[in-house]
Amino acid sequence: MITFEHVSKVYPDGTHAVHDLTFDAPNGRLTVLVGPSGCGKTTSMRMINRLIDPTEGVVSLDGQDTRSVDAIDLRRKIGYVIQSAGLFPHRTVVDNVAALPRLLGAGKKEARSRALELLAKVGLDERYARRYPYQLSGGQQQRVGVARALATDPPFLLMDEPFSAVDPVVRTQLQDSFLQLQRDIGKTIVMVTHDIDEALKLGDQVAVFREGGTLAQVATPAELLAHPADAFVADFVGASRGYRALGFVEATATVELADEVTVRVGARPADVVGDAWCVVVDDADAPLGWVDLRAARDVVEERQIDFSGTVARADGSLRDLLDAALSSPTGRGLVAGPGGRLRGSVTADEVLRHIAREREAGVAS
Amino acid sequence: MNIVGWFLDPAQWTGPDSIPVQVGYHLLYSGIALLIALAIAVPLGVYIGYTGRGELFVSGVANALRALPTFGLLVLVVMLVAPHIGSQLAFVGPTIVVLVLLAVPPILAGTVAGIQGADPGAVGAARATGYTRPQILLHVQVPCALPLFLSGVRNATLQIVSTATVAAYVSLKGLGRYIIDGRASSDYEQMAAGAVLVAIVALALELAFLALGRAVVSPGLTRASAPSLRRARAGRQGPVPRITPIPPSSTSSPREATP
Repeated sequence: MITFEHVSKVYPDGTHAVHDLTFDAPNGRLTVLVGPSGCGKTTSMRMINRLIDPTEGVVSLDGQDTRSVDAIDLRRKIGYVIQSAGLFPHRTVVDNVAALPRLLGAGKKEARSRALELLAKVGLDERYARRYPYQLSGGQQQRVGVARALATDPPFLLMDEPFSAVDPVVRTQLQDSFLQLQRDIGKTIVMVTHDIDEALKLGDQVAVFREGGTLAQVATPAELLAHPADAFVADFVGASRGYRALGFVEATATVELADEVTVRVGARPADVVGDAWCVVVDDADAPLGWVDLRAARDVVEERQIDFSGTVARADGSLRDLLDAALSSPTGRGLVAGPGGRLRGSVTADEVLRHIAREREAGVAS
Repeated sequence: MNIVGWFLDPAQWTGPDSIPVQVGYHLLYSGIALLIALAIAVPLGVYIGYTGRGELFVSGVANALRALPTFGLLVLVVMLVAPHIGSQLAFVGPTIVVLVLLAVPPILAGTVAGIQGADPGAVGAARATGYTRPQILLHVQVPCALPLFLSGVRNATLQIVSTATVAAYVSLKGLGRYIIDGRASSDYEQMAAGAVLVAIVALALELAFLALGRAVVSPGLTRASAPSLRRARAGRQGPVPRITPIPPSSTSSPREATP
């Protein structure tokens, strides 16, 4: 656990970078520090591995005051990922990852084979291992940066805006694969970002900073959306909080799904009761989209499929269910079980009724 | 004028004043001057690049040294030194000194710029992950400084080699002999041949530096040499795959990241 106790940082010119900061970053969890620029979030993170020393208060790792440890030894226990990857330009990808273990005395062969494992873990193909950093894209460099930070298997990991230097599509990929990796490795992570959406997506816990280096609120993403501590947090978390909060509410079995008539591509549709829409599924019964039977009198062809609706997973969030319903051409959102098989459909009304029922149950109890 | 004839004359290739001997002396004076310049400029450059101290002092001194007229300086130093030293050293010493003064500024500038120009991201990452300052210098800054350092040494070497001809003016050997002696006896063929020899030596050294750069500088730094690297690898183990983006590990759309 990383603990901040009444930590302040005042620069000689009197600037308060961080003011009376107290919070915990629990073990095995990802804590995100987020806030506008100049709010002291990066300064706070850099005090953990003593790149910056606090002027007041105590930062401790698993109960040990960081000032009682040699700064170099401390940093070697803490992985570090920086914004632009910061790879060593003169070393190949694999040697970038192996560099710190080699410095600490690991054999060349051993360090390299471990580096290759790590590169695979962060989703980088082995053929990139012999290249130099300049030959990689920004996203690939960042993956190497993550692998390098994990090379000595440190219990702690600091990440300074790790995904902000890449385009939005790549950023989403990096975030998703990093979340997957973290599920696997369970490091104690402190990450800095200015992007509240990234904070809400990645954080187990989010610490919102305000200008002047004070902490506005520390909470889980769902809590932050549902109960912002004050107007600043509410404003910073942003619009459509109600809708986004649904992303943290798991769909339960009490959401009622309706059965749908299905048809396969190339097959003749059965007679449909109700409207003329029917779900097209593939050979594994996974939903592809909808077909309007008034247009498909004989057999269903692929070009007749309406792909506009999103497909929610049965164990997904209420936001996924609602989005499936809202995006569907029929108003009925498709829900698939694990393995992708069609479970049924859900309407926006049903999702809203479910939310109302839950609220009443919450009030009653 | 028949320079080719001059070169083909067997008399030029044997004896104590032959071309090989003069080239040898020329390279000897140049080499000693370069080694001394390196011994002065490299530690100083590393120190300044590493600590950031004394930059103004160095750039001032470096510019002042560049402005010194080599020839005048040589004569001055010889006049000062010669009465006190009887041997040949009275001429060799001053010659080396002026060549060293010529070579120090480019090596110093290259070293400082190279150390300070090392990728700040890489230096920052090394520091944040527990490299000590000497380790950062040794494992990150120095390797990253090599291209600029080598180009400084190359400049210095070429300046030394072309200027080492002044040794002849104070009666020493070297390629300057042909120019000075040719001038004295109005033997323009000999003078031109001396100039050509200096140019050839300079060119040969230029090629040597090119080879040295390829051998010691990481291809990751000199991006220009990457195609040849790729070709070399392609020859060994089939074509290197083009860089392609990693396939998305998830189907979620980017809109989810930035609603």
